[in-house]
Amino acid sequence: MGTKIKFTRREIATALSTSAALLAQSPSPPLPQNPDDELKAARESNRQNSEQLAKFPLPMSTEPAAHFKA
Amino acid sequence: MASIPDDIFFATITELNQKLKAKEFSVVELTRAFSDRLERLGPRYNALALSLRQQAYRAAKDIDGDLKRERYRSPVQGIPFGAKDLLSYEKEPTTWGARPYAGQVFDYTATPLKKLGKIGAVLMGKLAMVELAGGPSYRYANASLTGPGLNPWDRTRWSGGSSSGSGIAVAAGLVTFALGSETSGSILTPSAFCGVTGLRPTYGLVSRYGAMALSWTLDKIGPMCRSAEDCGLVLHEIAGADAQDPASAGKSFHYTPQFSRELKTIRVGFAPVDFDEWAEPSARPDFAKALEAIRSLGVEVTEVKLPEFPYGPTISTIVSSEAAAIFEPLIQSGKVDQLVDPKQIAGLKAGLEIPAKDYLKAMRIRSLIQDAFRDLFADVDVLLAPARLGPAPKITQPLDRPLSDRPLPKTPGLTALIPAGNLAGFPALSLPCGFADGMPIAIQLVGRPFSENTLLAIGKAFQDRTNFHRHRPPGFET
Repeated sequence: MGTKIKFTRREIATALSTSAALLAQSPSPPLPQNPDDELKAARESNRQNSEQLAKFPLPMSTEPAAHFKA
Repeated sequence: MASIPDDIFFATITELNQKLKAKEFSVVELTRAFSDRLERLGPRYNALALSLRQQAYRAAKDIDGDLKRERYRSPVQGIPFGAKDLLSYEKEPTTWGARPYAGQVFDYTATPLKKLGKIGAVLMGKLAMVELAGGPSYRYANASLTGPGLNPWDRTRWSGGSSSGSGIAVAAGLVTFALGSETSGSILTPSAFCGVTGLRPTYGLVSRYGAMALSWTLDKIGPMCRSAEDCGLVLHEIAGADAQDPASAGKSFHYTPQFSRELKTIRVGFAPVDFDEWAEPSARPDFAKALEAIRSLGVEVTEVKLPEFPYGPTISTIVSSEAAAIFEPLIQSGKVDQLVDPKQIAGLKAGLEIPAKDYLKAMRIRSLIQDAFRDLFADVDVLLAPARLGPAPKITQPLDRPLSDRPLPKTPGLTALIPAGNLAGFPALSLPCGFADGMPIAIQLVGRPFSENTLLAIGKAFQDRTNFHRHRPPGFET
């Protein structure tokens, strides 16, 4: 358990420059036509998720959520 | 033998309980009438996975004996219900809505079904669901062993998923209540689209022993009913500690409307942009009225902003990673290709390749989300937003494409409340609040962990003033 590090609004805003609203407005890619294209699309989606997560600043002390008992 | 009037199929638990106690009809008569209806109409909406008529009939006879001797166990005693086919029932097929598991039989019964059986609720059948509860993602309404869930309000539209049969069965009066499950939206969505009242309990409040796992850290079991009050009565029975569920919070739930907080002490946070701009234009008039109805309850309504986090990528990474780990044997065996939905097949396969660092990053962000919401809930008690932004889509509409090409607002409002609420483990209540294009729409209330009684108190007060939860689909009116 470590101390909390706070981020400024600007840092978070930069990290989230591709917000949900902006993502929603980007044009949808065409529907995949075969299983290979589907797999490529799924991998691409995971890659984009990874990119979004990587942009988010995390204090080194932040541990994974392990308790959900509030 | 008493004949069962049509209104009974749309009665609440409390109403049926009174009639059973008054001996207007027996539990056996009620069970027979509901069984006939479930078997006749269930397939018409692709809602029925398995009828349990014989078992229900046997249970009903025992319960009649109890009622005769005035052994009252619960308001839910003698009440017919259905369960999403992701909950095991011993020695009967449990398909998880998926072809590769069509012949699967367990030798034990899921804890929530066991608990309901113990107090004399009557399980009528297993209800249809989206295959593997949707897996990481799916594109088409027909992603199910039983075909697309057809909405009782309009069979050309989708019921919502993944608890599709549960939403349909309650809306069409095939059961009095149903159990569904939610990883991210699977109780709220079919509840909203079918016009029923659905409760997603706090993570860990209801045991998942005997339920299919899609995501260990997100899965919840909850009731879908005719009213908020019914949700409280059912949750009272199914909640509680269970050593067989490692995620059990060790808490019970007592539905205590008589001790609920005074509404004027409750602070409700909302974002106007959700109702004015994000909502589908056809839904805005009734959403606006719903907001007014909430205000008229005397609660303090205030504007809030959702803490900024990458909710979508976070929940998607967690569900994809956990689902791929859970279904690795299915994926490696090649049987995953027997699933219906091409997007789900690909999502499961690709999920095996997600690096551990991404999963852990998502889970670390989730910690911050929980912290941020703890701060937000210092200022408000409940968050309010549309449960879904509009009515149910057509069954042919790809679910991963926007419904229209209208320009979307620049500010997110609370549109990420479903992933956010699930990531943080919060309870949520979906309340029918009007209509758009002749289809039901709904609002959602989200609260702190274990604040179900507060959500239900607002829900009951809202339903005391409105009657959307009592509307019936066309063809089912009196």
